[in-house]
Amino acid sequence: MQLRRTQLYEFHKKHAKLTGFSGFEMPLWYKGIIEEHMAVRNSVGIFDISHMGRVIIEGKDAENFLNYLTSNNVSRLKPLQAQYTTILNEKGGIVDDTIICRLEEDRFLQVPNAANREKDVDWFRRHLEGFQVSVRDVSDEVAMLAVQGPRAVDVVNKVSDTDVSGVRRFSGLWLEIAGAHVLATRTGYTGEDGFELYIWDATLDDPKPAYDVWNSILEAGKEFGIEPCGLGARDTLRLEAGMCLYGNDIDDTTTPLEANLGFVVKLEKGEFIGREALLKQKEEGVKRLRVGVKLLERGIPRPHHEVWSDDTKIGVVTSGTMSPLLRCGIAMAYVDSAYAEYGRKVYVQIRKRRVLGEIVKFPFYDTTKYGYRRA
Amino acid sequence: MSEDYEIPENLYYTKEHEWARIEDNLVVMGITDYAQTQLHEVVYVELPEVGSEVEQMDAIGTVESIKAVSEIYTPVSGRIVEVNRSLEDKPELVNEDPYGEGWIAKIQPTNLEEDLKSLMNAEEYAEYLRTLEE
Repeated sequence: MQLRRTQLYEFHKKHAKLTGFSGFEMPLWYKGIIEEHMAVRNSVGIFDISHMGRVIIEGKDAENFLNYLTSNNVSRLKPLQAQYTTILNEKGGIVDDTIICRLEEDRFLQVPNAANREKDVDWFRRHLEGFQVSVRDVSDEVAMLAVQGPRAVDVVNKVSDTDVSGVRRFSGLWLEIAGAHVLATRTGYTGEDGFELYIWDATLDDPKPAYDVWNSILEAGKEFGIEPCGLGARDTLRLEAGMCLYGNDIDDTTTPLEANLGFVVKLEKGEFIGREALLKQKEEGVKRLRVGVKLLERGIPRPHHEVWSDDTKIGVVTSGTMSPLLRCGIAMAYVDSAYAEYGRKVYVQIRKRRVLGEIVKFPFYDTTKYGYRRA
Repeated sequence: MSEDYEIPENLYYTKEHEWARIEDNLVVMGITDYAQTQLHEVVYVELPEVGSEVEQMDAIGTVESIKAVSEIYTPVSGRIVEVNRSLEDKPELVNEDPYGEGWIAKIQPTNLEEDLKSLMNAEEYAEYLRTLEE
């Protein structure tokens, strides 16, 4: 099957080791995962994330529609504010985890995971009845970049016609970069401060605005040691930050309560798909929980490795890596909720070896030194 | 291109990209320049167990990058007599010097003459790499 390409494919082809991801041919790394990862933690990196989807949901009932189809409360959003949320099925399972940004009173931007572009749009369209709302996939007309790291604001300020320093986390604004019309939101998938940039009118056939923005940011970022970053670093960064990867850590069979995403579930806001199932689950208590496991001995946990407490199998790893920052193995795992307590010693079965680890809080790093909350 | 990889003359090679060098009465083994290039940044090596008895092409450990786990296969049968402990703290030696400081294990061979027949020499390995690229 022909892999799909983003607006910036020619750059990746020239500079990156490519990989297939969710049907897209994407950069895995340019210089190397570790170097790119550390650039984002210590300074700034830029990512092409145009493989993600961009969907416009608009109409008189857009707010009610999204409140019915997602677990977070869309009514809390003022124009140009965004929220992380989940789309649920009737069983409370996660159809997708996503960002929704209110563009105007009756106009929203929803960002599906790459693998779920068609799935989310189909799901929305199946539930349109009774709502005056339209759903339009604009992914191939709008490119998407992320500028992430403690110096991201400095870099964006150098190229933007508007100062972005005062933009609050999960808020956005319209601005112009290199002549392109850009929506910038202070969001990301790395744990660091930074922006996600939606470049309007950058189509697959005419991607020039996407290149103009990409190149101007690379140029402006030189003094900070900016690195273009691939999906390899994107994965290790989000894992250190404790953020879920759809398909690995969450899917149609896991609920946001099990995934430790209770903060995106607003049971009091009124009816929404999945609410009954979540109410029931909350009442009965979840049987398994997503936790972080940090290894205290050498080894790299990988998906499907078993997690043990003494002689009891308590769960399974869903994502794992060697943390480039902490220089040790880290994992996300679902464990029996009776065992899900911080500080508990557990073992990860890595092939023939049992490797000692500890259940820890997300994110894995010290938030006073790394991440957007750092001083 | 296979010309881009270092393939020392005096070594024996497996199809899984291990090399073997006969040193005194022992076989020193590691992974090839091609293998380390494919893996890119090696961040972890699970070393074989010293004292274990192994058959030719048994999986005896792993070399891992952030994204990939690659099995290490022993080029010869025998007993593992020594492993390169410096890879525990410096797995990147496999990238920097795959035929030297990045060696993985030393094996006391038990069936050397027979085992060598199924391994490639440098010329054959170079040709094998060319076939992989086609």
